[in-house]
Parts: sequence; structure tokens; C-alpha cells
Amino acid sequence: MDLKDLKDKYAIAGIGYTPQGVVPGRTALSFYIEACANAIKDAGLKSDDIDGLICYRTFPGLLGEDEVTTYLLAEHLGISPTTLSQEANCCRGQLLHAMCWLELGLCKHVLIVYADNAATSGRLDVGHTAADNGVFGHFGYKSRYAMAARRAMHLYGTGPHVWREIAVGQRQWANLNPIAIKYNEPLTYEDYDNSAYTEEPFRIEDLFIPTDGGRACIVTSLERAHNLRNPPAVIMGTGQGNPSRDYTCMEQPTGAKLSGKIALEMASIKLEDIDACEIYDCFTSTVDSTLKDYGFYGPGEALDWFKGGTITPGGRMPVNTSGGLLYEAYYMGLGPLTEAAMQLMGRCGERQLGPKTNTKQPEIILCSDNGGLYQTCATTILRRL
Amino acid sequence: MAYEKPLPRVTADTKPFWEGSKEHQLRFQKCRSCGHVRWPASVICPKCYSDQPDWIVSSGKGKVYSFVVHHRTFDKAFEQELPYVAALVELEEGPIFLSSIVDLRPEEVKINMPVEVTWKDITQEFSIPKFKPLS
Repeated sequence: MDLKDLKDKYAIAGIGYTPQGVVPGRTALSFYIEACANAIKDAGLKSDDIDGLICYRTFPGLLGEDEVTTYLLAEHLGISPTTLSQEANCCRGQLLHAMCWLELGLCKHVLIVYADNAATSGRLDVGHTAADNGVFGHFGYKSRYAMAARRAMHLYGTGPHVWREIAVGQRQWANLNPIAIKYNEPLTYEDYDNSAYTEEPFRIEDLFIPTDGGRACIVTSLERAHNLRNPPAVIMGTGQGNPSRDYTCMEQPTGAKLSGKIALEMASIKLEDIDACEIYDCFTSTVDSTLKDYGFYGPGEALDWFKGGTITPGGRMPVNTSGGLLYEAYYMGLGPLTEAAMQLMGRCGERQLGPKTNTKQPEIILCSDNGGLYQTCATTILRRL
Repeated sequence: MAYEKPLPRVTADTKPFWEGSKEHQLRFQKCRSCGHVRWPASVICPKCYSDQPDWIVSSGKGKVYSFVVHHRTFDKAFEQELPYVAALVELEEGPIFLSSIVDLRPEEVKINMPVEVTWKDITQEFSIPKFKPLS
């Protein structure tokens, strides 16, 4: 048994969306429920078909809300899965775990979901601190990524001159996506340069915006997916990289490097075979570090690689075609993964890769998912059937 | 006026560290078995798993490993200091320690800049290590 034996054996067969952005009055749980129900319907399945449920982490309940647990969600969905899982702190392995359950025969259809009412609850805007960082006024995950970004500037000659290419490029994609929170809000280089510093070197345009909403997908065997409603997005490869080091030790490579290598090997393809990327982008610099560690460019080569609209509509390597977590909505790794699947299913409307956006017809899309401070990363490669 | 910023949360692991700080000594654990000097403090050495550390006193000298200029803050007690600099300082003995840079304007802080510890007595119980340019 080898990871390569799982190549092309499983697929994403359904995707669940919800209203998103700022949707006042709703609980996180309500978005979980709606995203799951919509994914089940989208796949053409019934609730009884769902025998595995995986929740990305949930953040602590606010406003007297229920804590979102897998069993509470199962109750509201009227399902009794064979097995349940919910991680606590953003380790990334949800898709691989789903595939393992399927491979073992424990499950036939696994539902993976993330949701929150982060925009209206302010849940993610609190200054969670690591150890005694608060003593020194260094609060929250943004501060930690900003620290890594500054180190990357020193080590790799990157910085705001590179990150604005990511911001402007992704915003162009968001402007082709009517459900993106930044739809109809164009961004120029000048806008980026003039945006306020927050945790410098980060500016406001480098940061994702906490969202109300949810996203879910159904993972099943390719064999079963053939009989379902959508053309499946086939999982060619997936890999993990968890360089579990002290959080203060931010010398790269990130987990993207190892996870990318494993996923490409499993898929038996090379980086040159990738038509587009959906990269986990809590911050612009995360896209930069991740693409570098995949090997799209070397240290010091970032600006040359990005400039001229490489990642934009019409570009030779489209990146984050929904607008990404930065400008579409924030769903952890399910943002990149579901966008890749939707593109490969040909369901993306104005932002559809191919002739409509003057880009390559997408056959193979690479997705990343990153947690901690680059300490846990999953890479997944999907292909069109 | 009462000190309103967050205070250190003393644990069994960090108690010797904060006791040292009270005496203006920057203390780290040094593994008795393999010699690795570590931070954060922990029950075992992450290199060799020995649970026998000595606490050594650092020279307090190091260089800026990375830094963030905070232009906003999640705690009102820091507001009057904005913009301020939080930095990771790589000490001569090896550990990388999160602290503040003082006595410099934010735009003057650079990676690899030599710095040394300077102590701030914040309450009866606590002194905290900050870093200033090496004199």
C-alpha cells in the first residue's frame, strides 16, 4: 500500500455555498448547517448517504452561541455518520483523513465543512496571544505572520513590492465573482501602496477579512462520483508537510515544500503540468512563501515571476480565481479546494478559467491549505475528469 | 498609576525565568545532557529529551531576528505607544526571544541589528526584559 495507490481513486463530488460576507443575526452553526445541506444536495445525495463528517476547527462560542460540534451539526442535519472528526487548532489533514476513511471502507461519502459568523461576531478580531507575547503588545495571528513576512523580506528579497502584485491580481479575480466580498471594489497598485499599515510590514490590503458564511464539500470514490450530479473533480495527489518547530523559528521552507513534493509525486506530474493554483491566502505573503516553496520561483525571483499579470485573468498561471480568502471569503482550506473543484467542473461563470478569462483550459489545479505559522500544510492536486 | 498591560503568566516552566528577571538576569534553560540552550522553557530538552536543565544567565546581547511595527493594538493600554516595535531577538546563547525594541524609532530598526537587554520594572512582582541598541 502506497499513497500513489490512491491516485485518481477519489473525487470531490459536491460543493455547498451559503450567503456570505456580512450577514447579521446568524449563528456560526446556521452557516455550518446550510453549507452541509447544500453540498449534499449539490452532489445529488440524500442525508442518509453521508457516513463521515469532518469539521475544520471552530473558534470559541460568543454571544451565548452553542459550541459547534460534529454531533450537534449531525443532529441538525439528521445524519448519523459512522465516524466524526473535528480538529482544534488548524492542523491540516482533513482531505487525506477523508480519503483514508473511504479507503478503509468505513465511509462512502465524507462531508467536510468550515463555517463562521466571524464578520458580525468579531470572533477572529480578538488578540489571541501565544505564551507571554501580550506582555510585549504582540497580539494575534496577524502579528505572527507579519513577523515571518519581515524575516522573508530579509532572507528572500521579497516584500510589499511583491505582495501588491498578489493583492492587485486577486482583486481582479474577485471582481469577476459576484459573491466575493470585494466584488465591485477594484484595487490599483496606488491603492495598495496608500493603504494603511496594520502590523507592518502588513497593510490592510494584505489581510483576509473575517467572513460570515460557510463552505462544504463531499468526498467520495471516483466510481461513485460518476453516478452523481456533477462532473467530479478527481483527486490526483495529496500530501502533508508539518515542520513542527518552535513558532518563533520561522526559517523557511514552509510545510508547502514537503507537502507539494509528496502531492506531485503521488499525482505523477511536474509543476509544469499545473494550469492554475488555489493557494491558502490568509495574507498576501502566504501566497508568496507558498508558491516559492512549491518551486514556481526561487529566492529573489518573486517580482520577476509575478510582474506582467502572471496570476491575473489572462495570465499564464492564474492564482486564487475566486478572489481567494483575501477577497472572496474566508473558509480555511475549503476556500482553495472548493474553488479548484468548481473550476474543474466548469461552474465558475464569469471567472471560469479557459476562453472566458483568456487563460488555459484547466486540466490540473494545485491547492494549498496552511495552518499554524506555516507549521502544518496540505497540498492537493485535482484534475478534470 | 496601576500597570494596565498584560502581566506574565507564570507557570512551573517559566517561574525561574521571571524570578531571574526580577533580579535583572535573563535566564534560559541549558540542557545538562546535550548543552542545548532553549526557549520557550519546557520540561524536557527538545533535542535529546533530557529533563535535567540548568538555568544559565544570558549575556543579554543578541541581534534582531525579525520585527513588526504595530500601528494598531488589541489592548488599549498600548495605544499611547503606537507605533511600537515587537521583535524577535536572537541571543548570543542561541534562543530566540520575543520582546520589545526601545530607544529607537520604528523606522530605525533593522534585522541583524545588535541589541542588548534593558530592564523595565513594571510592578512589585515583575521586571520585563526589553531590548535597546547595543551601546
